[in-house]
Amino acid sequence: MPIFGNGFFILEKMINPILRIVLLGVLILALPRVSFAQKKIEQEKGVKKKDVPSAAVDWLNDAFEGKKKVKWYEEFSNEGRAYEGKFWWDKRFHSVKFDTLGAIVDVEIEIPFEELDESIRASITDYLQSEFEDYKINRLQIQYSGESDDLEDFFDEDENEGIVIRYELEYTGKLKGEISKFWEGLFDHTGAFISQQEVEVRIMDNLIF
Amino acid sequence: MRKLVLISLMLGFVNLSKAQEHVFFTGFFPEFAATKSLKNGQKLNFKVENQEIIFRNLDEESERWQFRHYRTDLMSFYSWSLSPVSSVAGGIFYRFQDGANAFRVVQQFAFLDRNRTFRIAHRFRTDQTFTDGEATEFRLRYRLAVDIPLQGEDLDPGEYYLVLSNEPIFSLQGGDFDIENRLVTTIGKLISKQQKLEYSIDYRTDGFFRDGFRTRLWAKIGYFVNF
Repeated sequence: MPIFGNGFFILEKMINPILRIVLLGVLILALPRVSFAQKKIEQEKGVKKKDVPSAAVDWLNDAFEGKKKVKWYEEFSNEGRAYEGKFWWDKRFHSVKFDTLGAIVDVEIEIPFEELDESIRASITDYLQSEFEDYKINRLQIQYSGESDDLEDFFDEDENEGIVIRYELEYTGKLKGEISKFWEGLFDHTGAFISQQEVEVRIMDNLIF
Repeated sequence: MRKLVLISLMLGFVNLSKAQEHVFFTGFFPEFAATKSLKNGQKLNFKVENQEIIFRNLDEESERWQFRHYRTDLMSFYSWSLSPVSSVAGGIFYRFQDGANAFRVVQQFAFLDRNRTFRIAHRFRTDQTFTDGEATEFRLRYRLAVDIPLQGEDLDPGEYYLVLSNEPIFSLQGGDFDIENRLVTTIGKLISKQQKLEYSIDYRTDGFFRDGFRTRLWAKIGYFVNF
Protein backbone atom coordinates (compact mmCIF):
# COMPACT_ATOMS: atom_id res chain seq x y z
CA MET A 1 0.00 0.00 0.00
CA PRO A 2 1.37 3.46 -0.80
CA ILE A 3 2.43 5.46 2.20
CA PHE A 4 -0.42 7.97 2.20
CA GLY A 5 -2.83 5.74 0.25
CA ASN A 6 -5.64 5.99 2.74
CA GLY A 7 -4.99 9.61 3.50
CA PHE A 8 -8.34 10.92 2.33
CA PHE A 9 -10.25 8.35 4.30
CA ILE A 10 -8.29 9.22 7.42
CA LEU A 11 -8.71 12.94 6.80
CA GLU A 12 -12.46 12.48 6.79
CA LYS A 13 -12.28 10.73 10.07
CA MET A 14 -10.29 13.39 11.72
CA ILE A 15 -11.83 14.55 14.91
CA ASN A 16 -11.46 18.21 14.39
CA PRO A 17 -11.22 19.46 10.87
CA ILE A 18 -12.25 22.98 11.86
CA LEU A 19 -9.47 23.28 14.35
CA ARG A 20 -6.95 22.16 11.80
CA ILE A 21 -8.12 24.80 9.38
CA VAL A 22 -7.83 27.44 12.09
CA LEU A 23 -4.33 26.29 12.89
CA LEU A 24 -3.27 26.27 9.26
CA GLY A 25 -4.75 29.74 8.84
CA VAL A 26 -2.82 31.00 11.83
CA LEU A 27 0.42 29.63 10.44
CA ILE A 28 -0.22 31.13 7.03
CA LEU A 29 -1.03 34.48 8.59
CA ALA A 30 2.11 34.29 10.65
CA LEU A 31 4.53 33.58 7.81
CA PRO A 32 4.25 36.83 5.82
CA ARG A 33 4.82 38.81 9.01
CA VAL A 34 8.06 36.95 9.40
CA SER A 35 9.48 38.43 6.23
CA PHE A 36 8.11 41.94 6.74
CA ALA A 37 9.42 42.38 10.22
CA GLN A 38 13.14 42.16 9.58
CA LYS A 39 14.56 45.45 10.74
CA LYS A 40 17.84 45.79 12.48
CA ILE A 41 18.06 47.78 15.64
CA GLU A 42 20.86 47.37 18.17
CA GLN A 43 23.16 44.56 17.36
CA GLU A 44 26.33 42.93 18.46
CA LYS A 45 28.04 40.18 16.55
CA GLY A 46 31.22 38.20 16.97
CA VAL A 47 34.06 39.10 14.59
CA LYS A 48 37.46 37.62 13.87
CA LYS A 49 40.56 39.35 15.19
CA LYS A 50 41.74 40.10 11.64
CA ASP A 51 38.57 42.12 11.02
CA VAL A 52 39.20 44.39 14.01
CA PRO A 53 41.21 47.63 13.43
CA SER A 54 44.84 46.78 14.15
CA ALA A 55 45.19 49.86 16.40
CA ALA A 56 42.64 48.29 18.75
CA VAL A 57 44.40 44.93 18.86
CA ASP A 58 47.74 46.65 19.42
CA TRP A 59 46.39 48.86 22.22
CA LEU A 60 44.98 45.82 24.00
CA ASN A 61 48.27 43.95 23.74
CA ASP A 62 50.21 46.94 25.07
CA ALA A 63 47.92 47.69 27.97
CA PHE A 64 47.33 44.07 28.96
CA GLU A 65 50.63 42.43 28.21
CA GLY A 66 50.47 38.68 28.55
CA LYS A 67 48.46 35.67 27.63
CA LYS A 68 44.75 36.16 27.28
CA LYS A 69 41.94 34.86 25.12
CA VAL A 70 40.09 37.80 23.65
CA LYS A 71 36.67 37.52 22.03
CA TRP A 72 35.98 40.35 19.60
CA TYR A 73 32.59 41.84 18.85
CA GLU A 74 31.32 44.48 16.47
CA GLU A 75 28.58 46.62 17.98
CA PHE A 76 25.92 48.68 16.28
CA SER A 77 23.92 50.98 18.51
CA ASN A 78 22.32 54.41 18.55
CA GLU A 79 25.77 55.77 19.40
CA GLY A 80 27.16 54.30 16.20
CA ARG A 81 29.48 51.46 15.42
CA ALA A 82 32.17 50.19 17.78
CA TYR A 83 34.41 47.23 18.50
CA GLU A 84 34.64 45.48 21.81
CA GLY A 85 37.22 43.00 23.09
CA LYS A 86 36.14 40.81 26.01
CA PHE A 87 38.45 38.68 28.08
CA TRP A 88 39.40 37.48 31.55
CA TRP A 89 42.36 39.23 33.14
CA ASP A 90 43.50 38.84 36.76
CA LYS A 91 40.38 36.71 37.39
CA ARG A 92 38.16 39.64 36.37
CA PHE A 93 35.98 39.98 33.31
CA HIS A 94 37.13 42.89 31.11
CA SER A 95 35.33 44.62 28.22
CA VAL A 96 37.36 47.12 26.23
CA LYS A 97 35.59 49.34 23.75
CA PHE A 98 37.13 50.95 20.66
CA ASP A 99 35.78 53.22 17.96
CA THR A 100 35.80 52.20 14.30
CA LEU A 101 39.35 53.51 13.83
CA GLY A 102 40.56 51.40 16.72
CA ALA A 103 40.92 54.26 19.24
CA ILE A 104 40.15 53.29 22.82
CA VAL A 105 36.79 54.48 24.22
CA ASP A 106 36.66 52.86 27.65
CA VAL A 107 37.59 49.83 29.73
CA GLU A 108 34.99 48.13 31.91
CA ILE A 109 35.86 45.62 34.59
CA GLU A 110 33.36 43.57 36.51
CA ILE A 111 33.94 43.67 40.28
CA PRO A 112 31.93 42.69 43.36
CA PHE A 113 30.01 45.63 44.85
CA GLU A 114 31.52 44.88 48.27
CA GLU A 115 34.95 45.81 46.96
CA LEU A 116 34.05 49.48 46.55
CA ASP A 117 35.13 51.94 49.24
CA GLU A 118 32.58 52.27 51.95
CA SER A 119 31.82 55.91 51.16
CA ILE A 120 31.10 55.08 47.50
CA ARG A 121 28.91 52.15 48.48
CA ALA A 122 27.03 54.34 50.97
CA SER A 123 26.41 56.99 48.35
CA ILE A 124 25.08 54.46 45.83
CA THR A 125 22.86 52.65 48.33
CA ASP A 126 21.54 56.01 49.59
CA TYR A 127 20.41 56.79 46.09
CA LEU A 128 18.82 53.36 45.56
CA GLN A 129 17.04 53.54 48.92
CA SER A 130 15.62 56.96 48.17
CA GLU A 131 14.52 56.07 44.64
CA PHE A 132 13.10 52.57 45.10
CA GLU A 133 10.78 50.86 47.54
CA ASP A 134 12.84 47.74 47.09
CA TYR A 135 16.03 47.01 45.16
CA LYS A 136 18.70 44.41 44.60
CA ILE A 137 22.15 44.94 43.10
CA ASN A 138 23.03 42.38 40.45
CA ARG A 139 26.24 43.42 38.76
CA LEU A 140 28.83 46.17 38.95
CA GLN A 141 31.31 47.30 36.36
CA ILE A 142 33.95 49.88 37.02
CA GLN A 143 34.44 52.02 33.94
CA TYR A 144 37.72 53.75 33.06
CA SER A 145 37.84 56.32 30.27
CA GLY A 146 40.37 58.93 29.15
CA GLU A 147 43.05 59.56 26.57
CA SER A 148 44.54 56.51 24.92
CA ASP A 149 48.02 56.98 26.41
CA ASP A 150 46.69 57.75 29.89
CA LEU A 151 44.58 54.62 29.86
CA GLU A 152 47.46 52.52 28.65
CA ASP A 153 49.71 53.88 31.42
CA PHE A 154 46.99 53.25 33.94
CA PHE A 155 46.76 49.54 33.13
CA ASP A 156 50.38 49.09 32.18
CA GLU A 157 52.22 51.18 34.74
CA ASP A 158 49.60 51.93 37.36
CA GLU A 159 49.71 55.68 36.68
CA ASN A 160 46.48 57.43 37.52
CA GLU A 161 46.53 60.59 35.46
CA GLY A 162 43.63 61.91 33.40
CA ILE A 163 41.50 58.85 34.08
CA VAL A 164 37.76 59.22 34.58
CA ILE A 165 36.27 56.55 36.80
CA ARG A 166 32.59 55.75 36.79
CA TYR A 167 30.49 52.87 38.06
CA GLU A 168 27.98 51.08 35.91
CA LEU A 169 25.53 49.21 38.08
CA GLU A 170 22.79 46.76 37.14
CA TYR A 171 19.98 46.35 39.64
CA THR A 172 16.36 45.41 40.04
CA GLY A 173 14.31 48.17 41.56
CA LYS A 174 10.66 48.65 42.43
CA LEU A 175 9.30 52.15 42.02
CA LYS A 176 6.26 53.05 44.10
CA GLY A 177 3.07 51.69 42.55
CA GLU A 178 4.96 49.79 39.85
CA ILE A 179 6.29 46.30 39.49
CA SER A 180 9.97 45.63 39.96
CA LYS A 181 12.15 46.24 36.86
CA PHE A 182 15.73 45.94 35.69
CA TRP A 183 17.82 49.12 35.64
CA GLU A 184 21.26 50.18 34.60
CA GLY A 185 22.60 53.16 36.50
CA LEU A 186 25.71 55.27 36.07
CA PHE A 187 27.47 56.76 39.11
CA ASP A 188 30.56 58.99 39.29
CA HIS A 189 33.81 58.19 41.10
CA THR A 190 32.34 59.31 44.43
CA GLY A 191 29.23 57.19 43.94
CA ALA A 192 27.00 60.16 43.08
CA PHE A 193 24.14 59.31 40.77
CA ILE A 194 24.47 60.42 37.12
CA SER A 195 21.75 58.63 35.17
CA GLN A 196 19.75 55.43 34.88
CA GLN A 197 17.72 53.65 32.28
CA GLU A 198 15.43 50.69 32.26
CA VAL A 199 16.88 47.50 30.83
CA GLU A 200 14.59 45.44 28.70
CA VAL A 201 14.59 41.72 29.44
CA ARG A 202 14.45 39.82 26.19
CA ILE A 203 11.15 37.99 25.73
CA MET A 204 11.14 34.70 27.52
CA ASP A 205 7.61 33.49 26.95
CA ASN A 206 8.86 30.49 25.01
CA LEU A 207 10.82 29.49 28.11
CA ILE A 208 7.87 29.94 30.43
CA PHE A 209 4.65 28.90 28.71
CA MET B 1 18.56 23.09 42.78
CA ARG B 2 21.68 21.30 41.49
CA LYS B 3 20.16 17.95 42.43
CA LEU B 4 17.01 18.73 40.52
CA VAL B 5 19.04 19.64 37.47
CA LEU B 6 21.04 16.43 37.68
CA ILE B 7 18.00 14.21 38.12
CA SER B 8 16.24 15.86 35.25
CA LEU B 9 19.23 15.41 32.94
CA MET B 10 19.72 11.79 33.96
CA LEU B 11 16.13 10.91 33.24
CA GLY B 12 16.60 12.00 29.68
CA PHE B 13 19.17 9.34 29.00
CA VAL B 14 18.50 6.54 31.43
CA ASN B 15 15.93 4.79 29.31
CA LEU B 16 17.78 4.83 26.00
CA SER B 17 19.25 1.48 26.94
CA LYS B 18 15.96 -0.29 27.55
CA ALA B 19 14.62 0.37 24.10
CA GLN B 20 13.11 -3.02 23.33
CA GLU B 21 9.49 -4.02 22.84
CA HIS B 22 8.16 -0.58 23.21
CA VAL B 23 5.73 1.70 21.49
CA PHE B 24 7.38 4.26 19.29
CA PHE B 25 5.89 6.90 17.11
CA THR B 26 7.07 9.99 15.40
CA GLY B 27 5.52 12.87 13.58
CA PHE B 28 5.03 16.55 13.01
CA PHE B 29 4.17 18.99 15.79
CA PRO B 30 3.38 22.59 14.86
CA GLU B 31 2.70 25.04 17.66
CA PHE B 32 1.70 28.65 17.85
CA ALA B 33 1.67 30.94 20.86
CA ALA B 34 0.61 34.55 21.28
CA THR B 35 1.31 36.53 24.43
CA LYS B 36 -0.30 39.83 25.24
CA SER B 37 1.47 42.02 27.79
CA LEU B 38 -0.92 43.76 30.13
CA LYS B 39 -0.31 46.42 32.70
CA ASN B 40 1.88 45.76 35.73
CA GLY B 41 3.73 42.88 34.17
CA GLN B 42 0.66 40.69 33.80
CA LYS B 43 0.43 38.57 30.69
CA LEU B 44 -2.19 36.65 28.81
CA ASN B 45 -0.92 33.73 26.78
CA PHE B 46 -2.72 31.60 24.25
CA LYS B 47 -1.23 28.50 22.66
CA VAL B 48 -2.24 25.87 20.12
CA GLU B 49 -0.35 22.63 19.66
CA ASN B 50 -1.11 20.06 17.01
CA GLN B 51 0.40 16.58 16.82
CA GLU B 52 0.30 14.49 13.65
CA ILE B 53 1.66 10.94 13.62
CA ILE B 54 3.65 9.98 10.53
CA PHE B 55 5.20 6.69 11.60
CA ARG B 56 4.24 4.18 14.25
CA ASN B 57 6.03 0.88 14.99
CA LEU B 58 2.92 -1.27 14.61
CA ASP B 59 3.22 -5.01 13.98
CA GLU B 60 1.48 -4.72 10.64
CA GLU B 61 4.14 -3.29 8.35
CA SER B 62 1.70 -1.85 5.83
CA GLU B 63 0.09 0.26 8.53
CA ARG B 64 3.28 1.75 9.93
CA TRP B 65 3.43 4.83 7.74
CA GLN B 66 0.43 7.05 8.19
CA PHE B 67 -0.61 10.64 8.47
CA ARG B 68 -2.96 10.64 11.36
CA HIS B 69 -4.16 13.34 13.66
CA TYR B 70 -3.10 12.47 17.18
CA ARG B 71 -4.16 15.42 19.27
CA THR B 72 -4.74 19.15 19.27
CA ASP B 73 -4.28 21.08 22.49
CA LEU B 74 -5.60 24.55 23.18
CA MET B 75 -4.37 26.36 26.25
CA SER B 76 -4.45 29.73 27.86
CA PHE B 77 -2.46 31.15 30.75
CA TYR B 78 -2.68 34.28 32.84
CA SER B 79 0.56 35.24 34.54
CA TRP B 80 1.58 37.69 37.22
CA SER B 81 5.15 38.88 37.46
CA LEU B 82 6.82 38.70 40.86
CA SER B 83 10.04 40.33 39.68
CA PRO B 84 11.57 41.00 36.24
CA VAL B 85 12.64 37.36 36.16
CA SER B 86 9.98 35.41 38.03
CA SER B 87 6.28 34.86 37.67
CA VAL B 88 3.32 32.76 38.73
CA ALA B 89 0.61 31.68 36.33
CA GLY B 90 -2.65 29.79 36.14
CA GLY B 91 -3.90 28.09 33.02
CA ILE B 92 -6.67 26.10 31.43
CA PHE B 93 -6.22 23.54 28.73
CA TYR B 94 -8.44 21.53 26.43
CA ARG B 95 -7.34 18.49 24.45
CA PHE B 96 -8.99 17.13 21.32
CA GLN B 97 -7.94 13.52 20.92
CA ASP B 98 -9.90 10.64 19.43
CA GLY B 99 -11.82 9.16 22.34
CA ALA B 100 -9.75 10.96 24.94
CA ASN B 101 -10.76 14.61 25.00
CA ALA B 102 -9.52 16.11 28.22
CA PHE B 103 -9.69 19.23 30.33
CA ARG B 104 -6.81 20.37 32.49
CA VAL B 105 -6.03 23.13 34.96
CA VAL B 106 -2.43 24.22 35.47
CA GLN B 107 -0.54 26.16 38.13
CA GLN B 108 3.01 27.30 37.59
CA PHE B 109 5.94 29.19 39.00
CA ALA B 110 8.86 30.15 36.78
CA PHE B 111 12.07 32.03 37.20
CA LEU B 112 15.07 32.91 35.13
CA ASP B 113 18.78 32.97 35.97
CA ARG B 114 20.54 35.51 33.79
CA ASN B 115 24.16 34.99 33.01
CA ARG B 116 26.51 37.17 31.01
CA THR B 117 25.72 35.16 27.90
CA PHE B 118 23.17 32.41 28.51
CA ARG B 119 19.96 32.19 30.49
CA ILE B 120 18.62 29.32 32.55
CA ALA B 121 14.86 29.09 32.95
CA HIS B 122 13.24 26.99 35.67
CA ARG B 123 9.58 26.13 35.45
CA PHE B 124 7.59 24.28 38.09
CA ARG B 125 4.10 23.14 37.26
CA THR B 126 1.32 21.20 38.88
CA ASP B 127 -1.69 20.19 36.84
CA GLN B 128 -4.87 18.19 37.15
CA THR B 129 -6.35 16.46 34.11
CA PHE B 130 -9.98 15.39 33.81
CA THR B 131 -10.85 12.82 31.16
CA ASP B 132 -14.28 11.18 30.78
CA GLY B 133 -14.38 7.76 32.37
CA GLU B 134 -10.93 8.07 33.93
CA ALA B 135 -9.64 8.98 37.35
CA THR B 136 -8.26 12.49 37.67
CA GLU B 137 -4.56 12.63 36.85
CA PHE B 138 -2.32 14.75 39.08
CA ARG B 139 1.08 15.76 37.75
CA LEU B 140 4.15 17.58 38.99
CA ARG B 141 6.62 18.86 36.41
CA TYR B 142 9.93 20.65 36.45
CA ARG B 143 11.47 22.02 33.29
CA LEU B 144 15.01 23.27 33.02
CA ALA B 145 15.88 25.19 29.88
CA VAL B 146 19.16 26.75 28.84
CA ASP B 147 18.92 29.53 26.29
CA ILE B 148 22.15 30.40 24.46
CA PRO B 149 22.60 33.11 21.82
CA LEU B 150 24.55 31.75 18.86
CA GLN B 151 25.86 35.05 17.50
CA GLY B 152 27.44 37.43 19.97
CA GLU B 153 26.88 37.67 23.70
CA ASP B 154 23.39 39.02 23.47
CA LEU B 155 20.55 37.88 21.30
CA ASP B 156 19.64 40.59 18.82
CA PRO B 157 16.85 40.64 16.23
CA GLY B 158 17.76 38.54 13.21
CA GLU B 159 20.02 36.25 15.23
CA TYR B 160 19.78 32.57 16.06
CA TYR B 161 19.75 30.92 19.47
CA LEU B 162 19.86 27.45 20.92
CA VAL B 163 17.57 26.13 23.66
CA LEU B 164 18.21 22.83 25.40
CA SER B 165 15.56 21.71 27.81
CA ASN B 166 14.57 18.72 29.84
CA GLU B 167 11.40 18.16 31.80
CA PRO B 168 10.59 15.23 34.03
CA ILE B 169 6.88 14.83 34.74
CA PHE B 170 5.66 12.85 37.73
CA SER B 171 2.14 11.59 37.47
CA LEU B 172 -0.36 10.01 39.80
CA GLN B 173 -3.63 8.64 38.47
CA GLY B 174 -5.97 6.35 40.37
CA GLY B 175 -3.13 5.13 42.56
CA ASP B 176 -0.73 4.49 39.63
CA PHE B 177 2.52 6.36 39.54
CA ASP B 178 4.41 7.12 36.35
CA ILE B 179 7.19 9.30 35.02
CA GLU B 180 7.43 10.95 31.66
CA ASN B 181 10.43 12.79 30.38
CA ARG B 182 10.76 15.38 27.64
CA LEU B 183 14.10 16.26 26.15
CA VAL B 184 14.02 19.06 23.61
CA THR B 185 16.65 20.66 21.39
CA THR B 186 15.63 23.87 19.69
CA ILE B 187 17.18 26.18 17.13
CA GLY B 188 15.33 29.46 17.20
CA LYS B 189 15.47 32.76 15.42
CA LEU B 190 14.58 36.05 17.03
CA ILE B 191 12.86 37.61 14.05
CA SER B 192 12.12 40.89 15.76
CA LYS B 193 11.76 41.91 19.37
CA GLN B 194 8.23 40.50 19.30
CA GLN B 195 8.58 37.35 17.24
CA LYS B 196 10.40 34.06 17.40
CA LEU B 197 10.49 31.10 15.09
CA GLU B 198 11.69 27.79 16.50
CA TYR B 199 12.58 24.40 15.07
CA SER B 200 12.82 21.61 17.61
CA ILE B 201 13.33 17.93 18.10
CA ASP B 202 11.20 16.82 21.02
CA TYR B 203 11.93 13.38 22.46
CA ARG B 204 9.37 12.09 24.95
CA THR B 205 9.55 8.92 26.96
CA ASP B 206 6.94 7.53 29.34
CA GLY B 207 5.58 4.33 30.78
CA PHE B 208 8.59 3.82 33.04
CA PHE B 209 6.37 2.31 35.71
CA ARG B 210 3.50 1.13 33.55
CA ASP B 211 3.14 -1.58 30.95
CA GLY B 212 4.21 -0.40 27.55
CA PHE B 213 7.26 1.77 27.69
CA ARG B 214 6.75 4.39 25.04
CA THR B 215 8.88 6.90 23.16
CA ARG B 216 7.64 9.67 20.97
CA LEU B 217 9.80 11.76 18.72
CA TRP B 218 8.43 14.99 17.33
CA ALA B 219 9.67 17.41 14.72
CA LYS B 220 8.36 20.71 15.97
CA ILE B 221 7.94 24.08 14.39
CA GLY B 222 6.81 26.90 16.62
CA TYR B 223 5.95 30.50 16.08
CA PHE B 224 5.80 32.84 19.08
CA VAL B 225 4.45 36.33 18.94
CA ASN B 226 4.25 39.01 21.62
CA PHE B 227 2.25 42.16 21.51
